[in-house]
Amino acid sequence: MAELEATRGRRIALGFGGILLLVVVWELLGRAGALGVSWPPFSKVVAQGVEDHALLSRSLVATVTAAVKGFVVGTSVAFVLALVGVLVPPLRPGIGRLATIVNSVPWLALGPFLVMVVSPDLTPVVIAGMAVFFASFISISSGFQSVSEAHSDVFTVFGASRFARLRLLQLPSALPALIDGAKLGAPAALLGAIFGEWYGASVGLGLVIITSMQLILPERLWAAAGLAAVMAMVAYGVLSALEVRLERRFR
Amino acid sequence: MNEPVQETVGPSHVASVPPRGKSDVVLEGLTKRFAVSRKETLLAVDGIDLHVAANEFVAIIGPSGCGKSTILRMVASLEEPTGGTVKVSGRPPHELARGHRLGVAFQDHALLPWLSSWENIALPYRVAGRKPDAEHIAALLALVGMERFGKARPRQLSGGMRQRVAIARALALGPEVLLLDEPFGALDAVTRRRLNLELQRIWSEQAITTLLVTHSVEEAIFLADRIVVLSERPGRIKLVREVPFDRPRGREVITTDAFHELADELILALDPEGSTREVV
Repeated sequence: MAELEATRGRRIALGFGGILLLVVVWELLGRAGALGVSWPPFSKVVAQGVEDHALLSRSLVATVTAAVKGFVVGTSVAFVLALVGVLVPPLRPGIGRLATIVNSVPWLALGPFLVMVVSPDLTPVVIAGMAVFFASFISISSGFQSVSEAHSDVFTVFGASRFARLRLLQLPSALPALIDGAKLGAPAALLGAIFGEWYGASVGLGLVIITSMQLILPERLWAAAGLAAVMAMVAYGVLSALEVRLERRFR
Repeated sequence: MNEPVQETVGPSHVASVPPRGKSDVVLEGLTKRFAVSRKETLLAVDGIDLHVAANEFVAIIGPSGCGKSTILRMVASLEEPTGGTVKVSGRPPHELARGHRLGVAFQDHALLPWLSSWENIALPYRVAGRKPDAEHIAALLALVGMERFGKARPRQLSGGMRQRVAIARALALGPEVLLLDEPFGALDAVTRRRLNLELQRIWSEQAITTLLVTHSVEEAIFLADRIVVLSERPGRIKLVREVPFDRPRGREVITTDAFHELADELILALDPEGSTREVV
């Protein structure tokens, strides 16, 4: 037990050491100006972030809100489609193909179209939703399929209806896969929202990133991008922790 | 004054499960052929005629791959026969399954890992759309000696304990027919013997029509009223023997001469070319 604690402590120390090293290298490269004005030192980025905290926090709230909305919509659509695939097996291959097609549409091409059809302020939500949809659909579908044969046999012999089987066996079996999909989907939703904001949204981190680029404010650009990256990691971390807890219970 | 309700089981004790009349199992010319490739088929079970009477315990033994599990799966409505018929209480097995009238326990306990023992035993109720009877479930937990482990999840239990819960789950709705496929097959010899002793006690209290599949001669003799020996593939009935011991049977039955003579005879039937010396 003590040994386990020790290795865990060492792992955390190594992790922090790595981050520290990265920051130091970043700082030195920035100070030396080795990579030009577009690579400011870490300290300047942090200082700019503190100075812009009102703008950044307002933008972050907008982006996270869009990402969460997109996440909920994308996961819900994925869940419903996966469910239809389970309840009406003949439709399953068709739904799978549809999901693949949706996934292969490039967002870049879709942006201008969405701006016209929905609105610049809804575009981030739609793109975030699309970014989440495929990972969720694949993982939920495979979760429904992951039911063990022995469990399935027991439900048959006990005379389970299709609905009882779904509720008592397939849904709980799919739960770990659903969280697994969400874990991949959450950072994708954030990325999708930022990307969607490039098409004329009135507020958001994506907007800050693109305007800082146009105004040649590399410090602000880095601060906004860094904030987005930290947010994505936090979402991933929270869902990973949830997944570990569920794994322990459901497998 | 308190008429027994049709769908619910007596509240005080498991032994008060009402008798369900003629719940026998009839196999007539039962045949199963599996497709191996597009042209080839494999005859797994060939023309089995067997009548398991109401409240009788029949064990099917045979060499591995003889189709004994396939027979059980056909009775459980998990496989369709290629030829012949299976009738449980005079009806096709899937009707009984749909009426929540079959109980099963397999070698793989197949408990749901996210549910406690209590919830696993309550599962047949939920599948049947009924409210779990807490008193009955408590009695079942006590019956299989698991009263202290109602809240434990399968992964917190030993292999033997999981099978106890699986047996309790099979008994939850007071099934007309109990189907057991090597329920203790994955357990060590000591645990297996102990659970057989307990299963024998439980069965002697309830006398549910039971079909057991096993490769253990000793287990078959200890538990069953009648033993059917199958030949190697394709599975055909080779020998049928009555087991002469009264119930309830104690550990001492195993040491009697009659037990050993019957065991020798069955082993010889299982493996005509091998020696009769080794007792499983």
